[in-house]
Amino acid sequence: MGKEKDPNNWKYWQFFWRSWAIQASWNYERQMNMGFMYGIAPILDKIYQKPEDEAKKIEAYNRHMLYYNCTPQTSAFVLGLAASMEEQYYQDQENFNPETISAVKTSLMGPLSGVGDSFFQGTIRVLAFGLGINLAQEGSILGPILAILISFIPSFLVTYYGGKIGYTMGNKYLSKLYAEGLMDKVMYVCSIVGLMVIGAMIASMIGITTPISFGKAFVLQDVLNSIMPQLLPLGLTFLMYWLLQKKVKTGWMLLACIVGGIVFSLLGILS
Amino acid sequence: MLLQSIILGLIGVICIVDSRLLGRLNFERPLIVSTMVGLALGDLEKGLLVGASLELMSLGLVNIGAAAPPDMNMAAIIATAFAIFSNSKAETALTIAIPISVLGQMLGILMRTILSNLTHWADRLISEGKFKRARRIHIIYGTGLYALMYFIPIFLAIYFGTDLVKQIVDAIPEWLTNGLTVASKILPAYGFALLLQTMLTKKMVPFLLLGFLITAYSGLGITGVAAFACIVAFVMYMIESRSNHSGTDGGDADPLEDL
Repeated sequence: MGKEKDPNNWKYWQFFWRSWAIQASWNYERQMNMGFMYGIAPILDKIYQKPEDEAKKIEAYNRHMLYYNCTPQTSAFVLGLAASMEEQYYQDQENFNPETISAVKTSLMGPLSGVGDSFFQGTIRVLAFGLGINLAQEGSILGPILAILISFIPSFLVTYYGGKIGYTMGNKYLSKLYAEGLMDKVMYVCSIVGLMVIGAMIASMIGITTPISFGKAFVLQDVLNSIMPQLLPLGLTFLMYWLLQKKVKTGWMLLACIVGGIVFSLLGILS
Repeated sequence: MLLQSIILGLIGVICIVDSRLLGRLNFERPLIVSTMVGLALGDLEKGLLVGASLELMSLGLVNIGAAAPPDMNMAAIIATAFAIFSNSKAETALTIAIPISVLGQMLGILMRTILSNLTHWADRLISEGKFKRARRIHIIYGTGLYALMYFIPIFLAIYFGTDLVKQIVDAIPEWLTNGLTVASKILPAYGFALLLQTMLTKKMVPFLLLGFLITAYSGLGITGVAAFACIVAFVMYMIESRSNHSGTDGGDADPLEDL
């Protein structure tokens, strides 16, 4: 290439591998939270090396243990961007509100998983396996091989360049935003997008209903639907939110979710 | 048989590692794993044929978001092996595949619930400053548990035969499956509430509700809502810029105390 080697090269590969590994501990409660923490950990470890930064480091790790869910391939972009924001936060702790980092993550994960899932699971997968099935039915080993190749190449490119672009873009534009005092506005705008996406997720991803009915005349779910569709998921989320505000311990919350699920299902209240 | 069971179990590990460590490169799909099983058991042609029919059947099952569809990937490994052992047709493999895929689905739900607990352990380790151990929960425990979730059932099914699998599926009481399904729907609500803890302020509640209402009433997907959200954000940005509040207090701590 002749050019100097990019000193941030190691970071791009970290974003790459760790985005691919983001689902290793996928769980119901916060989904890819530990994956994201694992992904950004090398950057955080690099930033907070001094012993006196320990408390800040804990804070930063906690920041990335929040709910996160996004297509692994497009996550690299978010990871790169968040990493550059973390670095800038450390440089300028006076003016940088670290909540911005969470807001940016949240506002990006919805659109990026929408685009990512429909591209990789919808377009690429269907193309790869449509062709693959055709060849395999004729008994050709080329079928599965072709399916793997078609799946692999876009996945590799999007993940690697996503991380790189996210990181470099973050470095270039964010410092400019700070200098002009625009970060609060960015935060506000990101929060609007983030909250609207969370609202949409509450309406589409929880899907809890009630089977309570008295004959055909009274079906509770129909009554609820006529008041407002997806009322139960919304109520449930606000109930959880309220309990969290009341500082109920997370362990109890988790237990209540599982036991509650079994009990309410047995009593025929929820399904 | 022992050796074959171990090899097929390891193919299962490759299958689950695809989505855990490699960002879902589609190695996990029936077409690929059935071909691998065919290669391992020395009947490539049967592997390809069973793989193609299982793939065709499950092309519609998409593994994204919080949903846990029937696990056709695990089923494909076991069903292909049985088709080769019993020298039966690809169609017979389908009938074996379906109960196994349901069993796999339930194991998946259980695993994701267990990992919800591990998340709290990681929280605790972080607050004690044990970062390395917290990271290990993700990369070693997470991957390891998922790998075992595939290895053990596949190993047992091949080693002991399909009758055992069917018996296990029948023995799981219905109330437990239903209950775990409801719990798996409640848990994301908890996850969202945790997220809202850091983001929601009184002033911002309408935006949350706006996103909710759009999807609840129209069924519009998340990408669509995000597109609308960008416009709303743009308009709000213009409004805020005009009014003389220097900056906004969207990020200020103003937790919603009571609802």
